[in-house]
Formats: sequence, structure tokens, C-alpha cells
Amino acid sequence: MVLLESEQFLTELTRLFQKCRLSGSVFITLKKWCVFLADDGRTKPIPRKGSVEGFEPSDNKCLLRATDGKKKISTVVSSKEVNKFQMVSFCCYVPFSGQASITLNTGLIQTC
Amino acid sequence: MPQFQTWEEFSRAAEKLYLADPMKARVVLKYRHSDGSLCIKVTDDLVCLVYRTDQAQDVKKIEKFHSQLMRLMVAKESRSVAMETD
Repeated sequence: MVLLESEQFLTELTRLFQKCRLSGSVFITLKKWCVFLADDGRTKPIPRKGSVEGFEPSDNKCLLRATDGKKKISTVVSSKEVNKFQMVSFCCYVPFSGQASITLNTGLIQTC
Repeated sequence: MPQFQTWEEFSRAAEKLYLADPMKARVVLKYRHSDGSLCIKVTDDLVCLVYRTDQAQDVKKIEKFHSQLMRLMVAKESRSVAMETD
């Protein structure tokens, strides 16, 4: 899983959509980001049976992942960047009309 | 895996599921250009809610909903934002 910066993530996501135009699916997963912070300042959990260590929901971040089944990319979105990600405006038309297009609001690319 | 037939029912149930435990819930979008279909799933690994569509009008609603959820997740205070259903 490759963790990318937001701009790079959007570029790679565009590529994923282009690759899957003729066949295949693009999966996008979104979840609240949680930061591990133990009392003694550790930022990585030590696996121990039965212990539940301190996962704190980081109040202003979320994790966005994308994959086409083979390539995986991810990015962490903070409240400052969330506007960049008002992006995934799919404009899918009913199949019989023969057209489907994806517009990324960032203006990066349009695939038809 | 309950699949909803109307967007209103799905979005209400999905919002409720997320707000019940924001840390457990995740949102998955599956887009197939070849079929022109979009599927949105909201789950907390116990309950799984799915809505599928190939209609342009639903796509806009899904996109808006997805953005609203993202904003909820990055909001600084834990407050419940009323989400509009079209």
C-alpha cells in the first residue's frame, strides 16, 4: 500500500480510472483516521496478548484508499485538504446512452 | 447484506450507522465504467448497508453524501451535522 501526498494521490487515482475504462472496477475506501498514542509517548503499538492500547481518533483526519484490485494507493486527508477532495464527481450515465464520464473537480483530467 | 432500493432509506441508515460509532464505520465506493454502475457500501463490520445504481441522478447524491461523510470525519469537534437527503 503506497501512502501518497494528496496531489499525487489524485493523479494516481485518475490513472486508475483510465486503466479501468474498458473493464474492471475502481474501489475507493474512506474511514476516519486514528493515531496511535500510548501513555509513554510510543507511536507504534507493541503486540501483546489481551492488551488494548491507546488508539485515539485523530479529530481532523481521514484515510482515503483506492485500488483497482492490483495497484493500491492511499492518502491521509486533513481538514485543510478536504476541499481538494470534493472531487469524485462521477457523471455516470445510463449504459444504453453509451456514454459515461468521470470528472475530477480538481480539473486534472476528464476521461470519456 | 441489506441492499436498499431507495436512496433516502439508504442515506438515513448509513448516516445513523456512521454516527453510532465513527471509528468503526467505513465507506466503500465501487465504480465500474464498463457497466456504468456505482455501488456505495457503509459498514461497521457488523452491519453492512449497500446501494447500487446506474442512474446519473443517484450518482450526484452519492458523491454529495460521500463528501459530507468526509467532512464529518475531518471535523474538529464531534458534532452531528444534519445531512440533507435529496
